[in-house]
Amino acid sequence: MKNNIIILGGGQAGIYAAREIRQNDSKSNIKILGEENLLPYERPPLSKDFLLDKKNEEDLYFYSSDVLKNENIEFENVSISKVDFENKKLFAKNDDVYFYDSLLISTGSENKKLSLDNNLKNDVYYLRNLEEAKKIKETVSNKNKITIIGGGFIGLEIASSLSQLQKKVIVIEIGNQLMGRIIPKQIADLVQNTHLEHGNEIILNKQIEKITKKNGIYEILLNDNSLIETDFIIAGIGSTPAVKLFENTNLKLDNGIVTNQFCETSIKDVYAAGDVSNFYHPLYQRNMRLESYQHAQNHGICAGKNIAGVKTEYTSIPWMWSDQFNLNLQLTGICDDYDEIIERGNDINNGVIYFFLKNNKIRGACGVGIMGKVGRDIRITSKLTEKDTIVDKQILSDQNLKLNKLIQK
Amino acid sequence: MSEENWIEVGSTDSIEEEDLIRFDHQDKTFCVYRLTDGFYATDGICTHEAVHLEDGLVMDDEIECPMHQGIFNIKSGEALSPPACEDLKTYPVKVDNDKIFIKIS
Repeated sequence: MKNNIIILGGGQAGIYAAREIRQNDSKSNIKILGEENLLPYERPPLSKDFLLDKKNEEDLYFYSSDVLKNENIEFENVSISKVDFENKKLFAKNDDVYFYDSLLISTGSENKKLSLDNNLKNDVYYLRNLEEAKKIKETVSNKNKITIIGGGFIGLEIASSLSQLQKKVIVIEIGNQLMGRIIPKQIADLVQNTHLEHGNEIILNKQIEKITKKNGIYEILLNDNSLIETDFIIAGIGSTPAVKLFENTNLKLDNGIVTNQFCETSIKDVYAAGDVSNFYHPLYQRNMRLESYQHAQNHGICAGKNIAGVKTEYTSIPWMWSDQFNLNLQLTGICDDYDEIIERGNDINNGVIYFFLKNNKIRGACGVGIMGKVGRDIRITSKLTEKDTIVDKQILSDQNLKLNKLIQK
Repeated sequence: MSEENWIEVGSTDSIEEEDLIRFDHQDKTFCVYRLTDGFYATDGICTHEAVHLEDGLVMDDEIECPMHQGIFNIKSGEALSPPACEDLKTYPVKVDNDKIFIKIS
């Protein structure tokens, strides 16, 4: 049967869903509605290789317009202002109406903003999309002293890039460690040391009281009354799922759009995938919301299969990375539900990993090392988690013993 | 095929099955793999970002980049999974008297 399938949101989850639907359904109309007038592109390089001029805009696109054309996938740049789930209609700001038989919502997430005086609203920069990355790159070129508010992944990646552009960088973090929400303190400290070695200043446990601007220079007053003078401010203080459009509808929301393991929402024929979805994970037997490259891709693919009628459970083990200077940090599984922690390695040059175990099985792991030093072990950890294997802790803790010995074939 | 293009990598027992070693020659760097059906060689550096695949995971006929999990077919060099999209260059390998050789040019 030929259906109208609309994908609301032109990011990674959306494009992977579209292509997966087409793999399984040659007839239906597939249309991606994107708020940015750009084909879906990769976001991880924006804070790193794009700022460093190692990658340009053309390098970021997942697929060319030719690929979409060949697969008969339409992309339209439009901003949707209202959704009528009952009549399966979307209304655009320009009054166009879109009808769907199946809808995938992949609207992603949005940056949290600092609450600032109106006259400073445009003075603080954020980084989520290409336009913002371009603005930062252009504006920062003639600035020297940069302050980054928020010591999470995005803030630290920008701090690393700007340091490599010879800028003086200060990072202000409200918590008592960097990347505090998800990363073990020992690993956060190793990352912090690397920033310090490269000349970045890290200020922990401090809140912003006030920001003022005098003669083009900003003064940031902290809660201990210290004052930081800076030429440029970037904030990376977290994000929220992009669900404003659905707030007064019947769609079930709770930290994003609630979905089951098949990417189905509370409304029939409406699916959600990627950052915006708070999905049920059968292995962990709980709902979770993830913001990562691997998740956007795999969840999009899973949604695509289900929309095309190929019933598929989403069982992907969470995995994410952050690159800062020559460090590569990786996280797999979940690191907040454990009864034991095991450490592997203690030298960042060879990689350091913390495993989080419950009932002698790995629930998650977090590691950091020079370039790809922890990659293989983290990948094996994902496999062990997936297979729910009871592990030999001696092998886990001894870096001289290979982890692949733990995989049962 | 001239003999001098075959460069000795090492002995066959220097690589465990389903594993790889790094091999540097002049200004180039390679990965040499031992799969269940023989030895193979590719460029050493991932085509996605400049990281060596020596720390990657070999699974069946595939090598997975240790940094961002791009996957390549070891035998053909084909990029199989994003973020890798550019294929990896492969090189002929031969075994002679328990020694591995790769043909670089």
